[in-house]
Amino acid sequence: MLSFSQDCKHTFSGKVMDLHDSSILLGASVHIKEINKTVSTNPQGEFIFKNLCSGTYTVTVFHYECEPLTKQITINQEHISEVFKLEHHIEELEKVEINGNKRKVFQKKSALSTTVINKENLQQRKETSLAKSLEHVAGVSTISIGSGQAKPTIRGFGFNRVVVVQNGIKHEAQQWGADHGLEIDQNAVEHIEIYKGPLSLLVGSDAIGGVINIKEVSIPKKNSFGGNVSLIGRTNNDLVGLSTFLSGRKEHWFFKNTITANSYGDFKVPTDKILYNGYVFDLHNHQLRNTAGRVLNISGTIGYTKDDFLNRTIISNVNEENGFFANAHGLEVIKSQIDYDKSSRDIDLPKHKLNHFKITNETEIHKENYTLRINAGFQNNARQELSEPSEHGYMPKPTSSLEREFNKNTYSLNVFADLYTNSKHKLKFGVNSEFQDNSIGGWGYIIPAYHRFSAGAFVYDKIEISPKFYLHTGIRYDYGTLKTEQYQDWFLSPVNENGTIKEEYLIRATAKDFKFGDFSASFGGVYDLKNQMFKFNLGKSFRMPLANELTSDGVNYHMYRYELGNADLKAEESYQVDLEYSYTKPKFNVAVSPFVNYFPNYIYLNPTSDYYEALQIYKFQEAEVFRFGGEITSSFLLTEKLFLNTSVEYIYARQLSGAKKGFTLPFSPPLSGIIGANYTLKNYKYFKNTKFELDWRFTAKQNEIVPPESPTDGYTVGNFTMSTSLYKKDKKWADVYFRVNNILDTKYFNHTSFYRIIEVPEPGRNFSLEVRIPF
Amino acid sequence: MKKLKFTPIFFVLMIFLAACSDDEDDIDQTNPTIDFDFESSFPKPCVVVQRGTTFNFHAKFSDNDVLGSYAIDIHNNFDHHTHDNYDVQCDLSPIKAPVNPFIYIQNFTIEGDLKEYQPTLEIVIPDAIDVGDYHFEVRLTDKTGWQTRHAIDFKIAD
Repeated sequence: MLSFSQDCKHTFSGKVMDLHDSSILLGASVHIKEINKTVSTNPQGEFIFKNLCSGTYTVTVFHYECEPLTKQITINQEHISEVFKLEHHIEELEKVEINGNKRKVFQKKSALSTTVINKENLQQRKETSLAKSLEHVAGVSTISIGSGQAKPTIRGFGFNRVVVVQNGIKHEAQQWGADHGLEIDQNAVEHIEIYKGPLSLLVGSDAIGGVINIKEVSIPKKNSFGGNVSLIGRTNNDLVGLSTFLSGRKEHWFFKNTITANSYGDFKVPTDKILYNGYVFDLHNHQLRNTAGRVLNISGTIGYTKDDFLNRTIISNVNEENGFFANAHGLEVIKSQIDYDKSSRDIDLPKHKLNHFKITNETEIHKENYTLRINAGFQNNARQELSEPSEHGYMPKPTSSLEREFNKNTYSLNVFADLYTNSKHKLKFGVNSEFQDNSIGGWGYIIPAYHRFSAGAFVYDKIEISPKFYLHTGIRYDYGTLKTEQYQDWFLSPVNENGTIKEEYLIRATAKDFKFGDFSASFGGVYDLKNQMFKFNLGKSFRMPLANELTSDGVNYHMYRYELGNADLKAEESYQVDLEYSYTKPKFNVAVSPFVNYFPNYIYLNPTSDYYEALQIYKFQEAEVFRFGGEITSSFLLTEKLFLNTSVEYIYARQLSGAKKGFTLPFSPPLSGIIGANYTLKNYKYFKNTKFELDWRFTAKQNEIVPPESPTDGYTVGNFTMSTSLYKKDKKWADVYFRVNNILDTKYFNHTSFYRIIEVPEPGRNFSLEVRIPF
Repeated sequence: MKKLKFTPIFFVLMIFLAACSDDEDDIDQTNPTIDFDFESSFPKPCVVVQRGTTFNFHAKFSDNDVLGSYAIDIHNNFDHHTHDNYDVQCDLSPIKAPVNPFIYIQNFTIEGDLKEYQPTLEIVIPDAIDVGDYHFEVRLTDKTGWQTRHAIDFKIAD
């Protein structure tokens, strides 16, 4: 038994609040230098240190959106209590974007290159989808499908090589599909952390390219009720939208609710003709026919918080329907009898419908020596792809328009614990488990029904070498099983057996069991000088192969090719070295973040020179891959009101072995950069916080291609944003956001757009206006 | 000037990045070509062939490197579902439902690492199939996996 002298039984407790409105700052941490211990605040903003000896202590409070605050506290009686009020200016955050001093606290949390985006940042840059709204972050781009849908990519990786985590649970949909978009309502998002590098250590399989971590971070104030209504209109696709937000709290119970409804028409491109594969598609009114859609998203939170306990249940439902370009969906050219031009708002075939339902429950228990977090989740992703039935090969004309249907149920349970000790170690433990049940339907076949189970456990340690130098290191093991079901054609095909032709229902996939096990690890450090920060990280990540990569054996009608899986694939592994150097002065900052990446077995869908039933065979194969690249970002505060920011991103990728040795990887983003200027006006009468922002993107030509891609020319395109808050008698009446995209109505192609392969340019000039009225 | 310590390292790194991006690999970035536009090529756009007869497919294939395989896909266009050759607009018969449409799907590997190849192939049109509008589509790959497609509208008549 340890025994303490009478002097060492003191308790120091306190509360961390916002200086301006005394609201609680969630996720703050409190550090005592002398005992070298850091604790995090509970959901009421409170913290406690026990068993302190009398004396004077140096206490520093950190919050990722605030300047750290240090106080000398003298402990001379049994209970000492202190309130810390931190300067918390949301508006100023945007100014010193990404690498500002205040972000240092967040930056130090990870040895990877990271970016944090809050609700206001997102609002300022709001585009047609969440992924599009993140595109201004250096290193992030999108694979978009028309105007309503996009999925994010980090440093050239998307699909199942980037993980989106929402409220502690991995978002699970049909990420592998090229025409899939991220099913998350951006109006309900409060906080996003982007990790540009391997993070399998913390989230498991798939986090090879990076992680987008979406969190709910705020808790309404006690006895409050409020919300806002926002109306939005866009000219390019004639979008009209409504979004409402409500939140409130009694003593311990709180709730939030967001409803978003959008309806949009066909989007317009700055051309009247599309030339593809020798065909000419004349466009009516510059409209890309049948790209209209509609969205209805509902999400809500019910939570309970008392003392050191927080529990919240978040329920969301994303429902979308949108059409695909009628003349060519994928590589196939379609001539239909449907009169697509009769209305620009109707959604005809081909189209997709999807519904993503998600319920997550999060429990947080904050104690003096640990924080425990339990996340449980269920999500259902139901997706239907509908197209005009037509006979193909030996397949007769199907009777329905339901080409493919995917229904996926995912059950997740994760437990994390942070330990706060008096030593130089801050430990984190975690266990993740997930079960997926995937069923299929429709007349088109590409992926069998399957069940997947995975579980992993990790330990992560943040070691203080000196107050300026921290090491981050950890190790993890995952185990997974995948059971695929048999799939048999519903129509007969002729089969040549020893010279006699027989008609058979072909078996496309046989039932198989797969098992995977893999280590992930990470070793990194953060060295923090006054104006400079240096980060390094060596990470190993992995990805369990997908059912289609292992077992595909069928026609992908969207891409008009025959896809063949490979049952011998092992779990994909990736090794990456990340560096980041940042230099920060009050009026200037620059950050350089290069990386080098190696895959011994990148899983690649290789277009072969062979045919199966007159369709080109694409085979999943393994290749060694080497990549490097990175981003440089900087900003200059020219005057109090004007600042400039620039960023450049670049990726180089090479396949070092396999059938496409010497080639790059598919969807390689070209060299690209942004120059932006941001001007803040003085408050004038009813207008406060008025800002003008002009940014111009310069993108180089992309010659780095693999079949069936073609080179994409470079382009420059500009966007303009004006935002202001309207006040009436010192009370905010409305926030107004006005935005112009593609100012010069430039015709350009995005190398990573789904429609790029059929020569469809990006949307033309767009004006959008959003008015948000709080109450 | 201790604080400038890292800067040279990064300049070196950036120069390294820039230098590496220039290396030119000797990779094939060219699609093969299908030529149907010469005297003896067949079928020609809008040609009418009789069922119960045979015809000879003939074209010219070429590639900058090595030809891979080719495939022939003959399928009906009774529903006007695809629209293939834009150089010539053929008169299409009214839309109808297929009863016993002609389906011809064959793949051929081009052996011998050839840069040029002139395929000749005898295709038998059975007696008992539906007459009407058809598409004759040729697909050609090179060894790298680049594909070129060419389709021709034609009619099968009695």
